Amino acid sequence: MNDSKDTGFKSYILDEGSLESISLNDLNRPKLLDGETLVTEAQKVMMYAPLSDRKKGTLGILTVTTFKLSFISANDKEEEISDDCYQHSLLLGPYEVCLSSIDTIYQVGERSKKKLLPGQNVSTKVKELLIICKNMRVFEFSFKFADKDSGKNIANALLHHAYPKRHPLLFAYDYKEPYYKTLKDVKMFRGTEDWKRELQRTGCKNWRISLANQNFHMSPLLPQSLVVPASVTDSSLNQAVEHFRNRCCPIWVWGTPDGAALVRMSDILPTITDRTQENIMLEHVRKSHAEKRQPYIIDLSKDCPSPKDIQSSYIKLRELCIPDSIRVFKTQDFKFYGLLDSTKWLQHVSTCLLKAIEGANEICRPNPTTVVLQEGNGQDMNCVISSLIQLYLDPYWRTVSGFQSLIQKEWVALGHPFSARLGLVANQETDPSPLLLLFLDCVWQLLQQFPTAFQFTETYLTTVWDSAFISIFDTFLFNCEHDRFLAQTGSSPIILRSVWDWKEQFLEKDIALFCNPLYDDAYLYRLKPNVAVAFLDVWTQCYSRWLPDLEIRNGGKPQIDLCNRFITSEIHVLRQKLLSGDVNGTLNGGREENLQLLKKVNSFFSI
Amino acid sequence: MDKRGSVELLNLERENTNYNKNLSLDSFHSDSKSSSLNSKQETTSWGKTSPSKSYCSSSSTSTENVVSTLERRKVIKATNAESAVSTRPDEPPLLPGEKVSGQAREVTYLCPYYGPARGVLTVTNYKLYFRSVDRDTPNVVDVPLGVVSRIEKVGGASSRGENAYGIEVFCKDMRNLRFAHKQENHSRRDVFEKLQQYAFPLSHKIKLFAFEYAEVFPENGWNVYEPIAELKRMGVNNDMWKITKINENYEVCDSYPAVWAIPAQATDDDIRTVASFRSRGRVPVLSWIHTESQATITRCSQPLVGVSGKRCREDERYIQLIMDANAQSHKMFIMDARPSANAIANKAKGGGYESEDAYQNAELVFLDIHNIHVMRESLRKLKELCFPNIEETRWLSGVESTYWLKHIKCILAGAVRIVDKVENHKTSVLVHCSDGWDRTAQLTALSMLMLDPYYRTIKGFEVLIEKEWLSFGHKFQQRIGHGDDHHSDADRSPVFLQFVDCVWQITQQFPNAFEFNEYFLITILDHLYSCRFGTFLCNSERERIQEGVKEQTVSLWSYTNSQFDLYRNPLYWANTHQQQVLIPIASIRHIKLWKSYYCRWNPSMRTQDPVYQRIRELLVLKEQLERQVEECRREQQSRISRSNVSPT
Repeated sequence: MNDSKDTGFKSYILDEGSLESISLNDLNRPKLLDGETLVTEAQKVMMYAPLSDRKKGTLGILTVTTFKLSFISANDKEEEISDDCYQHSLLLGPYEVCLSSIDTIYQVGERSKKKLLPGQNVSTKVKELLIICKNMRVFEFSFKFADKDSGKNIANALLHHAYPKRHPLLFAYDYKEPYYKTLKDVKMFRGTEDWKRELQRTGCKNWRISLANQNFHMSPLLPQSLVVPASVTDSSLNQAVEHFRNRCCPIWVWGTPDGAALVRMSDILPTITDRTQENIMLEHVRKSHAEKRQPYIIDLSKDCPSPKDIQSSYIKLRELCIPDSIRVFKTQDFKFYGLLDSTKWLQHVSTCLLKAIEGANEICRPNPTTVVLQEGNGQDMNCVISSLIQLYLDPYWRTVSGFQSLIQKEWVALGHPFSARLGLVANQETDPSPLLLLFLDCVWQLLQQFPTAFQFTETYLTTVWDSAFISIFDTFLFNCEHDRFLAQTGSSPIILRSVWDWKEQFLEKDIALFCNPLYDDAYLYRLKPNVAVAFLDVWTQCYSRWLPDLEIRNGGKPQIDLCNRFITSEIHVLRQKLLSGDVNGTLNGGREENLQLLKKVNSFFSI
Repeated sequence: MDKRGSVELLNLERENTNYNKNLSLDSFHSDSKSSSLNSKQETTSWGKTSPSKSYCSSSSTSTENVVSTLERRKVIKATNAESAVSTRPDEPPLLPGEKVSGQAREVTYLCPYYGPARGVLTVTNYKLYFRSVDRDTPNVVDVPLGVVSRIEKVGGASSRGENAYGIEVFCKDMRNLRFAHKQENHSRRDVFEKLQQYAFPLSHKIKLFAFEYAEVFPENGWNVYEPIAELKRMGVNNDMWKITKINENYEVCDSYPAVWAIPAQATDDDIRTVASFRSRGRVPVLSWIHTESQATITRCSQPLVGVSGKRCREDERYIQLIMDANAQSHKMFIMDARPSANAIANKAKGGGYESEDAYQNAELVFLDIHNIHVMRESLRKLKELCFPNIEETRWLSGVESTYWLKHIKCILAGAVRIVDKVENHKTSVLVHCSDGWDRTAQLTALSMLMLDPYYRTIKGFEVLIEKEWLSFGHKFQQRIGHGDDHHSDADRSPVFLQFVDCVWQITQQFPNAFEFNEYFLITILDHLYSCRFGTFLCNSERERIQEGVKEQTVSLWSYTNSQFDLYRNPLYWANTHQQQVLIPIASIRHIKLWKSYYCRWNPSMRTQDPVYQRIRELLVLKEQLERQVEECRREQQSRISRSNVSPT
């Protein structure tokens, strides 16, 4: 590595004398949200720069609130450096994370590091804490200049608040800021309307909306409005769900005017040997096909990675992205591709992309066939594969509002257990597993192979992943619609605040970077990606952005992205001129400014 | 194996993805409702004629390289222009000076991707040309014989089974070709002999094709590099550095150029003594000077220290002169490209490295780059992995086990260290390895590319190759083995390929810092082997003069500079404001396998780089709108002036 690189951190000579000169009273305190309260704070905490081997750091104030972990530097200038060229969140500062995104906390000693367990009470002196976040960010704090018990207090506050035992202890229940919805175009798939419109939009016939699950009478894990075969009655639905795991009977999610549909369901309960009910339901699915063709069933529990596989793969991938010293970084660098192979992450991505191709091929073949996705609980891999098939086949989902509606439909409405899979609450029955990340990675690969097919950018995808852990948005907060319904109607009702309302988090200038300047809205074709691992890539922006050593100064993809933005904006201006007939004036206004920006931008720009 | 023709398959693929259709300019035309653009197509439809795209859009196959693709385009253009000339389908398009030397019918090309194709195989003094006859859109294989490293007969008189009897051609550009002959036709022997003869002309006492090739280009590429002009560009002569012609007759060092820049204080006698202390007389001379700080990059070979630790006062003083020529620093770095173990081992052979005792104020650093043999082995493994099919299971581990990317990383990291010393510490760096013509050339050229934006232009890059590689005696003839049948010669090694790979890595990290695109790099590599141009022939400047290369052959740069637009990077427009120095990240996490080069014969590699294509389209649209606005404005002005002139 280049040893002389300035990582943007100010170096302090680590002796007591120089520290006295820093007046901590002048420090900014973290801004609190409405309903957020301060738990504990520690002054004169040293935050080490990543990969600096504890030789570079920033001194500041470390705070734990009911919403976040916050570090505010004593050196105000740092903020200025990052402000212009990095994503700026309205909710979290540059060195702040939501408590929900904290994964593991280590107490670091002279020679060893010890994992601290949720709910544990630390009674010994804490010299250093290492905090690993779910989005692969790492913080390392030293308390050697801080007051006696600071480290211990911070550790205990985190162990208590970052791992809530019950769902209502999440900050979303306390957040009192009123919400004024500015969201348009995103279909939430909560009521009947969105499903009805989707049936119309796709032109898929012989399916109907059933209200059998109104008030979640039939299944708490399904939405209140369902699309089912036109031939099936509500009472036979009620009878059938008894036989399916999670009561997930076959549900229509998408279809074509040719009469082929995409259907999701779970396995028959393991205690039931008689598959009659399943057969009855599949017979209804067959009858709904325009030519009454037998559906093609894809058993996703067979060839796809299980949530457990995905989690262990993710943990290995994370290890590869969070080297805790230059030595480890170099050892990893030495055999990086082999280590990457052993994480199996890209293999899993490849498998998902391939499974989705299998489904898409059936729907698109000369005799279009309905595809039924079947999986154990019906709510994990079903979400991934179903979403991918639709992204391949239907350009609507590749727009920003379409993509958001897709996640609403396939993940939120159809009950992906976000709270459990994202590990928002400690000790849940269901294990954590980042299926959402796996899906976003698949989409990122598609974006690499079809850069003009999507209205959004990789920055958008990375931001979706980051936002999954911000516990003021309800989108990724619940295990199913029923839980959301209860939280909304309980004694202390939660304010539903959609993550898709990006203005809650960002200013226009950052939201603008979600828009893909290469997007071609005439690109309406089917996507057929190369799925072999050799054609896949590592999503560097998402996984490597916290390692400053990997940031290419004045280089990387943002250079391409920005250049495109300039070209498209110039095209826009020119078109305006021609339309209005006012062709005078300079043609390249703003170019100078743009070039100045290019000069400042590094490879992790906009995140 | 699917027996459909490749083009058919490709078209099918295209329909399915509708990839080209959408990206083509045509869709753009209708979009922008313009007709004036059609006329521009010839110059702007770069994407279609570029190597990777052309496979999809014209009647070609995977087995062509950039060279043949471009050539064919030219032929098509020519036949369009003079429609009277109708070439017979089995007659290959010929270059000026190219002659057919043999032809065989009923030969089967065993395409690893689309299955066997039957057709006519032609051998010329330049290329191997196969054209299938058994399908509507012919399968064409067009390979310059310069890329051939080995030809073998497959099967004998007793061979049974279809396609078991024939010829296999092993190439230097990551592919092999197999042709099957019918035994009863007795065509194999003739083809085999003709191939041997023209693939290895030097082993058969025949001239390389470059000496027969007679095409004339508007620009003479031999004038691209003028050593003195290039030194002047960097401000030499100045107080500290002077130009010397001491080696005018290549007597001091036969592998060095005629013109050098050396410290102004050094006398001719000094130089001669230093030359006797440096391996093969390769004394430290100037490669690059920082025009502001005066920090320099100089290059040489290892000192002849030997086991006894010999010293040479003049050499020590000479190094001190190089250090003193840079007033900004009181020290200097000697970057020895080798692993330290190899440097020590060289002492036994009379070589070695500078001891820090003898060279005061000089710090010696080993850059740990392995020798030509290690690199050759690494590329061999890489070829196994990439051709014919990409090894899909455990691909990543496979890439790792070739060590290719690790070597690339090491070279890049070495160059980054040199740049850091020169740029950030204003300290001069002397670079050497053993002889100073392989790893040294990689390091100096890469550092210069990072330090000086001039070398990132198309012409600047040509100058860089001419200067650091050709004039300083990288032994292209030996490393490539032009026209020579000793395929297992231990002197062959992909040193220059590694350099181009490193350049590609930097272009990936800095997408708008280079005037040229990937196809420029691939074109250079294709002609590194093709023997059509004189540029990469011989081992040194002296040899090239002796052989009359400049007078009797065409320079590659004549060719490239006559079709500049093909090699332009559409993103380069922002460059005027760009920072001067590029510091790539030499971590393996940023270093990628250059699949569009190493795996390009594989048809699934084709849907590459739609980003650049889209940008091209957008730029074309922008230009067109600008013209419209301009026309509109002129029209308005003339209307105003008319109404002023004729008030009624």
